[in-house]
Amino acid sequence: MRWTRKLRLRVRSVIRSNRVEQELDEELRYHRDHLIEDYIAAGMPAEDARRAALREMGGIEQQKEYCRDVRGVALLDSLGKDAKYALRALRKSPGFSAVAILSLALGIGANTTIFTFVNAVLLRPLPYPSSDRLVILREQPRGSEGTVSVHPVNFVEWRARSRSFEALALVQTPPLNVMGSNGAEQIARIQTTSELFRVFGVGRMLGREFTEEETRPGSDNVVILGHGFWQRWFGGDPGVLGRRLAVPDGSLTIIGVAPRGLRIGLTEPDAYTPLSINSANPGAIGSRSFECYGRMKPGVSLDTVRAEMTVIASALERQYPLDKGMGVFVSGLHGYIVREGRPALRLLMAVVATVLIIACVNLAGLLTARGIARRGEFAVRSSLGASRSRLVRQLVIESLVLSSFGGAAGLAVAYVATRILVSLTAGALTVGTTQPIRLDAICLFFTLAVSTVTALAFGLAPAWQASRVDPQMALRERTRGASADRRQHRLRSMLVVTEVALAVVLLVGAGLLLRTFSSLVRVNLGFQPADTITMGLFLLRPPEARIALVDQILERVEAVPGVTAASTTQFLPLSGMNCATGFWLEGQTSGGDGQPAGDADCLLVSRGYFDVLRIPVLEGRAFDGRDRMDTSPVVMVNASFARRYFPDGRTLGRRIRVHSAKEPLAEIIGIVGDVRHNQLTSEPVPTVFQLHAQRPGYIMSLIVRTAGDASTQAAAIRHAIQEVDRTQAVSGVKTVEQYLGDALSRPRLYAALVTCFAVIAATLAAIGLYGLIAYVVTQRTHEIGIRLALGAARGKVFLDLFGHGARLVIAGLVVGVVAAVGLRGVASTLLFGVTPVDPLTYLMAAAVFSAVAFAAVMIPARRASLVEPITALRYE
Amino acid sequence: MSKPTDLVQGTLDLLILRVVALEPVHGWAIAQRIRQMSNEQLRVGQSALYPALHKLEQQGWIEAEWAPSENNRRAKYYRLTKAGRKALKAEAAQWERLSAAISLVMKPA
Repeated sequence: MRWTRKLRLRVRSVIRSNRVEQELDEELRYHRDHLIEDYIAAGMPAEDARRAALREMGGIEQQKEYCRDVRGVALLDSLGKDAKYALRALRKSPGFSAVAILSLALGIGANTTIFTFVNAVLLRPLPYPSSDRLVILREQPRGSEGTVSVHPVNFVEWRARSRSFEALALVQTPPLNVMGSNGAEQIARIQTTSELFRVFGVGRMLGREFTEEETRPGSDNVVILGHGFWQRWFGGDPGVLGRRLAVPDGSLTIIGVAPRGLRIGLTEPDAYTPLSINSANPGAIGSRSFECYGRMKPGVSLDTVRAEMTVIASALERQYPLDKGMGVFVSGLHGYIVREGRPALRLLMAVVATVLIIACVNLAGLLTARGIARRGEFAVRSSLGASRSRLVRQLVIESLVLSSFGGAAGLAVAYVATRILVSLTAGALTVGTTQPIRLDAICLFFTLAVSTVTALAFGLAPAWQASRVDPQMALRERTRGASADRRQHRLRSMLVVTEVALAVVLLVGAGLLLRTFSSLVRVNLGFQPADTITMGLFLLRPPEARIALVDQILERVEAVPGVTAASTTQFLPLSGMNCATGFWLEGQTSGGDGQPAGDADCLLVSRGYFDVLRIPVLEGRAFDGRDRMDTSPVVMVNASFARRYFPDGRTLGRRIRVHSAKEPLAEIIGIVGDVRHNQLTSEPVPTVFQLHAQRPGYIMSLIVRTAGDASTQAAAIRHAIQEVDRTQAVSGVKTVEQYLGDALSRPRLYAALVTCFAVIAATLAAIGLYGLIAYVVTQRTHEIGIRLALGAARGKVFLDLFGHGARLVIAGLVVGVVAAVGLRGVASTLLFGVTPVDPLTYLMAAAVFSAVAFAAVMIPARRASLVEPITALRYE
Repeated sequence: MSKPTDLVQGTLDLLILRVVALEPVHGWAIAQRIRQMSNEQLRVGQSALYPALHKLEQQGWIEAEWAPSENNRRAKYYRLTKAGRKALKAEAAQWERLSAAISLVMKPA
């Protein structure tokens, strides 16, 4: 009970301090009155009694002070007072406060914004139980950095031989056509072996998972619905179990519904169907086109798994010819998903940290100047008994108050900026995250931490400096010429040079990214992206019927008014997908497994493909109606292929085998121009084109050139397709220009962000320069007045000061350029079409910054030259 | 503010506790009582008394209450708490031991 009472007392002392003060007053007054009464009773006259009592009581204020000390809440009390005093001081210099808070708001706001993305993408774990145990396994050709998808034979062997996994699953994601009320619709589907839900730690779900039985051929016509699809298609009806889902060639029994929001990798599937692997011949379902996910057993580390899989891979290499030269790649799932976004995010965090450093350096400079100006005040306080630590504490609290306001404003900035960025980037920064990007508690905590650290960083040193007062010296009116001043000035100048250097580095970076973006926009694609529209097709007919279907579809679509040409292709340009293969020359040993003569990308297209994309046919002819299943196989190649493999120029008429040495020979009938198919930034690759009419595939995209705006024709084209086959669904309607836009979105975003931050940094550095020179002018006003009065030319005064500032600017530029050159390796992966030490960019950055900086120096210098000698001399 | 030099601070606490133990009493009366009980030997000025009173109050050994005094004015009356009673016993015992020890040393050889 006692300590609650004590606590209550202390709290009361703080909160109701006025009341407590009054009571103390009253108590002491009572005592004094009693004393007076006593004296009067003892015979002293009233006046004397009063005076004697007062004398004995001493100063009441001192009593109260002592009592207050004893009350033991002095610390809290004085902190509160310091804060109030700080607020008052800040209010008194609104210009300084505004600049300081604005700089901090920008710096802290930028950091919080980028941190929000970093948190969502890199820091937040995947939303599965024990997500650090999730791994992805892929195959990796020995000696190569890249990885390829998994072959089912290997999956079966891994599952049998490995001891490290709790569960291992193989998945593929071919879309599924389902029959709805408006005809066929294509939905996102995952085909998986039975352990998928165990890998991802899925808990309770409606219905059940696949059994081992159901992943054998023959008993696999079951389906588990995705939660969103269940809502959309069946209205969330729990009685859906046991019902059937209609597909074009039959129906699937629904045995379960996945939990809400479950994503596999990055996609939320609409349906899950079993992947049946024939254990006698696993390769029957396909070759290297599957993904493998696993959950490690508890206590097993990634290194252990890697070691085990390396051993298994070596054993498999010896056993299976198809595994020759292939190793296994194991990575934590989270790390694999974010691998693309990680370097860019790290770079952005470095950039915004730099901006914040510049802001803090500015503030340190400003506070130092203020400290010097307030020396008189500190001298008085010091002589009144304030200890040095008390003064430092006062100044640090001022910094904390400033940075709290800056932090709060920064939060507001970050909130707005995050919303804007999220809506603008549409996945460019957020690849690899499925969770919404927003300011959450961690970001708030981050802001708080950053604010506090910056306050201490820029507040402590100036506070230490300012509190070093010799009261005598400081009370003198003029404070020029002291060596301590010169030292401080040198320190401040160095800080300003650092700011300038940092700003220059950022400007160079921004310039390089801008030039990268403009190079990408102007890059020669090799095809015409305008006025083309695409949609995905998934054919369910047997191979022979597919050719007829495609022919009919192309015919109907080309008949649509507004359509110029139509064709199909296996992979769309700039969609990020392609297929690589080897080819064999005519003279090579046929049969057996001789090494291919070379590598090339391969693309399966229908006739008219090059027409639609306006890819020029350089030699020979394109595929046309003559080439059918029963005529001799033909292929086309691109110019890179011809150049690389047939440098003697005689390409047409040569015959090659594509995909395997057992394939029939195909004649090269034409050469087309190079196209940037895979990525904007990668050079065209030797490519072989095969004709769909001769090798009917079932996954493709329809690509159509229209006379006018392509997106308006989408509905008409769909309609045409449905006229041919009501059960044929389309998916992913998108124009090629949109794919191009997607490919450009990341470089555009990086360029925009870094430019924005660089501009902020340059502005802050210019403000720092301005502040320093203006301060010098103020300190030297008196001296300038004397010089002018003695006949010095105004121009000379101006040049002197300008020269002082210009020297700082030039020093900063030099340091900045050197630093930028030193850092050239950092962002080289993000650059295209420009080297990291591109002279033009450096020149532009230096020029832009110089313009701003010299203006910032000129203004106070000019003000100095306009000083009236009389006023200056009168100014004490 | 300088501390009283005539009395060690701790001893003053002991005296106050002793006085307050008898009955609830206000500051002025405490000073009077101490003077009386010590045969005018010990005069406690208010500069020493009130800080000591506030400290004891913060420590929870005495508690205060405002009440009308003998001349019908409001005064702050202090009263011993249970903890204070225990503290008084402890401090008194300590004082006994200390003063006995000093006397032993000061006895003529």
